[in-house]
Amino acid sequence: MGIFLKDINLKGKTALITGATKGLGRGAAIAIAEAGGNVIAIGRNQSELDTLKKEIKKFKVNYVSFNCDVNNYNQIKSFITKLKKLDILVNNAGTNIPEPFLNVKKSSMETLLNVNTKAVFNVAQLCANQIIKLKRKSGSIINISSIFGIVAGQKRTVYSMTKFGVEGLTKGMALDLAKYNIRVNSVCPNIVLTPRTRKYFADKKYNKYVKENTPINKLVTVSDVATSITFLASEAASMITGSSIIIDGGWTAK
Amino acid sequence: MLKKINLKNKTALVTGAGKGLGKACAIALAEAGAKVILLSRTKSDLNKVNKIIKKTKGSSQSFVCDVTNLEDLKKTLNKIHRLDILVNNAGNNRPQHFTKVSQENMEYLTNLNMKAAFNVAQLCSQKMVKAKNRKKIGGSIIHMSSQLGRVGCEGRNVYNMNKFGVEGLSRGMACELAPYNIRVNTICPTFVETPMVKKFFKNKKFKNKMLKNIPLGRVAKESDVATAVAFLAADSSEMITGTSLLVDGGWTAQ
Repeated sequence: MGIFLKDINLKGKTALITGATKGLGRGAAIAIAEAGGNVIAIGRNQSELDTLKKEIKKFKVNYVSFNCDVNNYNQIKSFITKLKKLDILVNNAGTNIPEPFLNVKKSSMETLLNVNTKAVFNVAQLCANQIIKLKRKSGSIINISSIFGIVAGQKRTVYSMTKFGVEGLTKGMALDLAKYNIRVNSVCPNIVLTPRTRKYFADKKYNKYVKENTPINKLVTVSDVATSITFLASEAASMITGSSIIIDGGWTAK
Repeated sequence: MLKKINLKNKTALVTGAGKGLGKACAIALAEAGAKVILLSRTKSDLNKVNKIIKKTKGSSQSFVCDVTNLEDLKKTLNKIHRLDILVNNAGNNRPQHFTKVSQENMEYLTNLNMKAAFNVAQLCSQKMVKAKNRKKIGGSIIHMSSQLGRVGCEGRNVYNMNKFGVEGLSRGMACELAPYNIRVNTICPTFVETPMVKKFFKNKKFKNKMLKNIPLGRVAKESDVATAVAFLAADSSEMITGTSLLVDGGWTAQ
């Protein structure tokens, strides 16, 4: 810590990350460990949780994992309410099923609402209650939103509905949790190349669509998003709450 | 995975660098490793900031310059050969009820907060695009906006007009400078403990009313804003452009 420059430092802090085995969640877990934070990883794939452990342990921080589906409320509740340490939540687990509005299946709509909205709410509420119960001096919750939480995209009606919802939830939570010094923000990335989006980028037309819509001529990387998440998690952002960091190379500025 | 706030080998220009936020930003950028060029109207203020930067083993250079004087500004900027970062900070406020705003105050504020901000940004951009390796190393322009660039507030109509304008300028610049890999963003702080705000807060009734509007219940520190500026200046935010980083303790989330 300098005179005016605060470090992105998470020493002694503990962060829970959902959807931690792949893509943005995995990136966030590693970046948080790099900044000195302990990691609690939630994911659905045991072998990936074990692989992540090896990467996190390189940074000499604690690592706990829990193999669980965030849609299973009772299971996630019994885990979070037993935690002895918790300062940070990276509320990341999410999914997408792109379909044109007129053909959106009931089952896809329900899946997206369950994962991106209800589970996001539930995990946030459980973690906030736990941070308060543990009487931590401060807390930081980062909801993983999207540029589609700010603007629309083709075949993204349900995704936009859920991510606009996350933007609203973030601001509401920020107001209700301010008195506990728990900050709540979102990150809104452009389409990042991850295991989930690889199939979209395989389509040349989609590739062109993303490039043409991004004024800065490159793709957003997992590391770009993980860095912003870690910044928001740390005391370097201690007056930032109820807000969104947009990491989109200018997509939504147009 | 985690990109550090590192400004080694970068040259940054900060306007209004003698006091308050400009001073804090200049020192923070120097702490992150940048060579900092300070502009202010007051030589004694510049000397003090130079001294602090020197003490922390940073590098700085200063010029007495009134940014509202275009000839003076051009002459000063002609002495600078390289520029990677601009913190377009010089600004002021003279709160008055809309019906009572004098022509003089409206002109003074608009000339400083908008016209000079535009001129500084344009002249510095012209310098920045000339660097042959600009596309590779990127550049970053940070406008000092305000939460009042996002929402209205009593007695702040001219300041509102100015800062909303800066928000628009910033997005337009982001679109046009993206091909050069120059990113353009704003910082929107709430009230910060600066000499300017201390003056407003002598009115206790006003201070308490304003504090009630900040969900986190405290004003921002200069270091909160300076750290956010350094984050936007560095490659830690290399895909963030055309957006605003709100450092407002939740003010605009309501």
